[in-house]
Amino acid sequence: MTSPAINLRDLVILVADPSSYLCMLVHGMLRGFGANKVLEAKDSMGLLQSLSAGKVDILLLDAHMPAPGAPSGENGGLALTRAIRRNADNENRTIPILLMASDTREATVKTARDAGVNMVIAKPMSPAALYDRLTWIAFTPRKFIDTETYFGPDRRFKIEGFPGGVGRRKGDKPIEIGAEAGPALAQNDIDSLFSAARTEQS
Amino acid sequence: MTKKVSSNATEFHVDTRFQQMARRPGGISRDEAIARAQNQIDEVRPDLEAHLDRELTKLALLMDDATENPANLRWIKDANDHTRQLRNIGTTIGLELLTHIADTLCEMFDRIRKGEDYSLESIKCYVDSLHLARRGEYRNIKPEDVPELTEGLRQVAEKLRRKTPV
Repeated sequence: MTSPAINLRDLVILVADPSSYLCMLVHGMLRGFGANKVLEAKDSMGLLQSLSAGKVDILLLDAHMPAPGAPSGENGGLALTRAIRRNADNENRTIPILLMASDTREATVKTARDAGVNMVIAKPMSPAALYDRLTWIAFTPRKFIDTETYFGPDRRFKIEGFPGGVGRRKGDKPIEIGAEAGPALAQNDIDSLFSAARTEQS
Repeated sequence: MTKKVSSNATEFHVDTRFQQMARRPGGISRDEAIARAQNQIDEVRPDLEAHLDRELTKLALLMDDATENPANLRWIKDANDHTRQLRNIGTTIGLELLTHIADTLCEMFDRIRKGEDYSLESIKCYVDSLHLARRGEYRNIKPEDVPELTEGLRQVAEKLRRKTPV
């Protein structure tokens, strides 16, 4: 099966990472995918300014992005995700957020999902992994849920494989939720954890 | 359309501009996009490699500081930051072994920052291994290609953990 092509031309893509080299790397990949409007933010101030200055179509956010006021020990990227999702006046409130994380332990991925990110991609990332996740976000629309404690994409979904079958996992079976600490997860396991939300919430 | 799904929850469809525009015809196929992205990475590779070398140098200097001033633990956060840079970029430019070693070292730093005891000698061993993995002959080498090295490092990390009451 052929993977559908994504057309990133004229989409405003914001890459937020404190490392200028990571920004350079991701920016280069996106240019390769055909993107021509890529913005960069090196800190939370720049990120919030970009979001308030105009329409952003998708945010690629580093999990470690420092965020003022983030709870001690929490990754700033998650606090920023919550801030974006909870701000009812923000026109970018429903933008897709792809979290770039080097800490991919199960607990961290679950927390990211519950903060309202659309997907987590593990660092170091490959062009293939990034392309597949952008394709997945583009071709797999999800409803939004608004509750007292959560605003974000519906966490009750099932990944049926990436569009066109690319990146499909061995199975979409529910998985056991482990203890707080644990080893870093591979990208396929991260994807599984998102799909497991359906089981947890039912 | 907005739908009330319970007394305190609503759900609604969002077709974002990203989704609408990304699905337009005229996109770049996956294979071509990945090949083009790889070319873009190759163009910035010299900058990235220079960055990794600087991070390795900073890490080595921090080891010297840690040896001379063992009471000052600030170096641990800085060393963690530099190691994370190595981990996050290594594999993308063909230095998978470097990422693997840096990943384990980051985990060690995380545990140390949570209060676990540490052995500076073990950390130095990992930093030396990072320098080794940066060398040209280890490019495109996976951890499983050098089982003696990875097993030795694993044992160093394990030894450190056993010393530490959890």
